[in-house]
Amino acid sequence: MFKKNFKNKLKELGIPLLFLVGGFLIWEIAVSVLALPEFILPKPSKIIFEIINQFKFFLPHLGITMLSTVTGYFIAFLLSFILAVIFVHSKTIERGLYPYAIAIRVAPILALAPLVVLWFGIGITSKIVIVVLICFFPLLVNTTQGLKTADEKALELLNSLSASKWQIFIKLRLPSSLPFIFPALKISSALALTGAFVGEFLAADQGIGYLILLHTRTFDTTTAMAALLLMVLTGIFFFLLISFIENKVVFWQKPERI
Amino acid sequence: MLKVDKVTKYYNNLHVLDKISFQTNEGEFVSIIGPSGCGKTTLLKIINGLIKPTEGNIEFKDKPIKFAANNGLFGFVFQNPVLLPWRNVIKNIELPLEILGKKNLKNSSGDLLKVVGLDGFENYYPNQLSGGMQQRAAIARALIFEPPILLMDEPFGALDEITRNYMGMELLRIWQAEKTKTSTVIFVTHSVPEAVFLSDRVVILSKRPAKIEKIIDVDLPRPRTTKIKFSKKYFDLIECLRKTLKTS
Repeated sequence: MFKKNFKNKLKELGIPLLFLVGGFLIWEIAVSVLALPEFILPKPSKIIFEIINQFKFFLPHLGITMLSTVTGYFIAFLLSFILAVIFVHSKTIERGLYPYAIAIRVAPILALAPLVVLWFGIGITSKIVIVVLICFFPLLVNTTQGLKTADEKALELLNSLSASKWQIFIKLRLPSSLPFIFPALKISSALALTGAFVGEFLAADQGIGYLILLHTRTFDTTTAMAALLLMVLTGIFFFLLISFIENKVVFWQKPERI
Repeated sequence: MLKVDKVTKYYNNLHVLDKISFQTNEGEFVSIIGPSGCGKTTLLKIINGLIKPTEGNIEFKDKPIKFAANNGLFGFVFQNPVLLPWRNVIKNIELPLEILGKKNLKNSSGDLLKVVGLDGFENYYPNQLSGGMQQRAAIARALIFEPPILLMDEPFGALDEITRNYMGMELLRIWQAEKTKTSTVIFVTHSVPEAVFLSDRVVILSKRPAKIEKIIDVDLPRPRTTKIKFSKKYFDLIECLRKTLKTS
């Protein structure tokens, strides 16, 4: 059993890693053979060395990007959860507010972001607000859906015992909604990073987005790509962390892969 | 003990139940049988206080039961087990105690687990159990707060024939087990042989709007054994029931 699990894990991690190494090799050779200048496309080995050697330089920037990402992500989660609970208990409020929740989603984030920066300044607050805006909708939709999908018969069972609204919520609605909330949390984890990035692209004096913008302008492509790679790796880690938590929390249902 | 008194139910203009009246005595096993869609489940929900009757009353020991009141009188078993997948067997069984705010005195869930034949499976999750075992857990959950009356809505309808017959025998054993405080069972079924084998009386409902067509006494000896299933009386009763159902 354990051996088999280990083998599966190895396959799950090993195969993508093998492809990564292969891809890097082709990239490395292609840059050499085609004699591409570094400011167009640096060798992957160069990018990796850049990360290792300059880690201290990158770290605070990565930190600030992740801070706005994670903060915005949690605020969005909290807000959407509260609103979803209200929606489930009041049809009127749901009818009244839902169209505007959609409006937030439909408005392109690139159009909203400059306004947000105008209102909240170039500091971290504007990035957090953008992250909240981008994560809010998928979380709201899935949480509302999840809280509504409680099993009809289970509801009947609790009602026949004259369970209170709170008991029904905590013992039935909330656990039933978890298989819906987690996929949205995974989608939002990727969106959140994009949001922070967009904010930094527009106006910032620190963060990964700022670094990439700055260094592509000065044709320091290696540093820009190193920053990008760092951010991608952190994003993947963030996503896997949420998946890991999902597996632990929603243990009764094997999640579909995204 | 339980009295269903002229219960009539309309859903908007749909007349579902028409002046249903019958009584159950303490320690009695009563089946309700009738054509599908005739309102058996509605009747059970009215008894349980989940649906309000348009007219009529449910009385327990000569006192009318209030609608949607937490009276702790009824355990309920559905066609499907309806176990919560994030709770293990014992937590599922103890759910009603949590809702009713009752303490699990003298570890009754442990005893009950033995009675329904699930000891050793306390920590299993529903998706690790077979259909029959899940339904046993559901029965234990209905019995945990020692309700005087057990309502069952086609509890074995989703099981295969072999498991179904076996669960019928098991239900009788559980019902008659010393530790079970529940004395009266009201059992909705589609199966004529099942109704005859399990019950003391069978209430036959007509097509919608359902009226009581006939109430048949099943005077087969208890405890019921498989032997009874080969007796002439058993077959006669089945025939009698089928004829009544046909003319209804």
